[in-house]
Amino acid sequence: MSADRSHQPAKPPAARTAAVAVLSVAVAVVLGDSGVVTLALPEILRDFGAQVWGVAWVLIAFNLVLALAAVPAARACVRGNPATATAGGLVGFAAATTVCSVAPSLGVLIAARAAQAVGGALVIVGSLELLVAATGAERAGARRWATAGVVGAALGPVVGGLLTSAFSWRAIFVVQIPTVLLALPAAIALRGQVARRASQLDTSPDRPHVLANLALALLSAALTAALFLLVLLLVDGWSNSPAVAAVAVTAVPVAALAAGPVFRGLRAGTRSEAVAGSVLIAGGLIGLALLPGAELVWTLAPQALIGLGLGLSVDSLTAAALRDRIPRALHGGWTIAARHAGVVVGLAILTPIFTADLHHAQTPAEEAIASLVLDAPLPASTKLDLAEQLGRRLSAERGRVPDLRPAFKTLRLPATQAPAAAALERGLEDQLKRAATRAFRTAFLVAAGLALLALGPALALRDRRRS
Amino acid sequence: MRRVALPLIAVVLVAGVLAVQVAAGGGHYVPLRPANPCTPRPVPPIPVQLEPLAEQIVLLGLDEAACRLGVSRERLVLALAETRTLNPQTTAALKAGLGDAVDRLDREGRLPKVSQLLPQALDQANLPGIVKTIIEAIPGSVVDSLLPTAPLLRRTVDELDINRLLHELNDPRQLDSALQSAILQAALRQILDRLRP
Repeated sequence: MSADRSHQPAKPPAARTAAVAVLSVAVAVVLGDSGVVTLALPEILRDFGAQVWGVAWVLIAFNLVLALAAVPAARACVRGNPATATAGGLVGFAAATTVCSVAPSLGVLIAARAAQAVGGALVIVGSLELLVAATGAERAGARRWATAGVVGAALGPVVGGLLTSAFSWRAIFVVQIPTVLLALPAAIALRGQVARRASQLDTSPDRPHVLANLALALLSAALTAALFLLVLLLVDGWSNSPAVAAVAVTAVPVAALAAGPVFRGLRAGTRSEAVAGSVLIAGGLIGLALLPGAELVWTLAPQALIGLGLGLSVDSLTAAALRDRIPRALHGGWTIAARHAGVVVGLAILTPIFTADLHHAQTPAEEAIASLVLDAPLPASTKLDLAEQLGRRLSAERGRVPDLRPAFKTLRLPATQAPAAAALERGLEDQLKRAATRAFRTAFLVAAGLALLALGPALALRDRRRS
Repeated sequence: MRRVALPLIAVVLVAGVLAVQVAAGGGHYVPLRPANPCTPRPVPPIPVQLEPLAEQIVLLGLDEAACRLGVSRERLVLALAETRTLNPQTTAALKAGLGDAVDRLDREGRLPKVSQLLPQALDQANLPGIVKTIIEAIPGSVVDSLLPTAPLLRRTVDELDINRLLHELNDPRQLDSALQSAILQAALRQILDRLRP
């Protein structure tokens, strides 16, 4: 197949730049939706009084439907006009997002999330063609599209966490509506430049790039741990607010954005970038499994490794999957399907592991708490009183990391015992954090294993240096 | 060279981060593991007061009982908190453990004399004023001669109704009452034994 299918856009440069910007933002918003509700899940759970497994479907439904709809949406783009498909997708996505923002029940929210994914699939695959048309160069457009996706996926949990903290989980969806609709005029304006081309219709489509898509799927499954499990650890395990957690996990998108400027100068080639990216993601995940403390600072270096790996590998694998293959939208659809199938598989593999480990962490945590209380330099009567309160807290929050502070607040202690009680409270909180951190370890290690599995297809890639 | 440079840089970065984390204790950030109950713990200084003494005997007794039962002290305590009616094996292990604790403190000379504890005990005891006055009038040497601490505590342990104590754990008044009753019974029996020809 021919390598260079450049377009000559008739738009003036400013309009082109604006079109590229709003389309990139639309792609980032849609792909950011993959994990945007991660930090909002506890609030959604409380609002709807739902079960944990039900709320998890707010996350799963979007990724599952996006994985299933990406290739059919791409076929629709190929058969019709990508600009029309994108515009239709933008309207559909905005409509479904509006329903999400006012959803009266969990069922409606999950259904609207699935509808969002259908509209989002059209937006993503259609935008690939539009970005190529708007930039005027296939590789520049494809790279812009891939980078927007990486940034969106990495920033999703951060933005979702900040909006949830500042307003409510519904704000996540309210903000998205005007943001994606900004791309609507650009899509309509580019309609004439991305009309069906005979070359795409008359030739049979190229086969999907199995190795690149397989590596993308495995890395996306691994990244599920970094993007979803890490925020759960920070909020539920270490009792940070969603806002603090959101700020802490910005290390991943910042490093992902830095990966290009830092490493691309080496011009190492697609295979080297994919291999290095897989190693960095696996290493970062092992780092999260081996945290030496519950201070946020310990997560920064592992997150930076993951971000660098994400920026290097997903970008270069997407470029490899698209390079010299037509129809471009269809192959873009395959990469989206692979990535989000990977997210769903990652959630399916990792969620039961960490849930079971969190359950099993109860016994050592209870024993550690009992040990500290027994040996605390407090009068026996105070210990008995405290033990009763702690027992109530532990029983009330089985399966979750309990908040023990209320047990101490109810104690009536003389001033002489207050320092010892405060030290005990700190000690117990430390034990809970230790237990929670330990509970996430296996899931992070399994995720690292998935990233290392991606080395197989990455090493088998045909190496071509980036132009 | 360029092809291997980037993966090598990645490996070096990963190795650096993991080395720092492992050196800082990564992998060992886990909950406190319960100590082996069969390994004797060091006993801190015990103030000459009833509550700290009783607490120390209970803590050491729990270790001894847990060792006999083959579980950790913490697991035993959590089990006691959940199950308020004990099987005979656990009751026997607890009584034996408390007895062993008294023996250890006695061997190490850590038990105060009864005369030293008596003023506080009388203060807390629910006895008529006249009785308290009479007991206070008894010279300390006589009290210690009639009521050596270790035998008194061993008898008290024998008198204890462990199941009742567990039921009263959340009610300090009832717990005190049950303990006082056991101590009083033990003291009376010991005095009677000493007075018997």
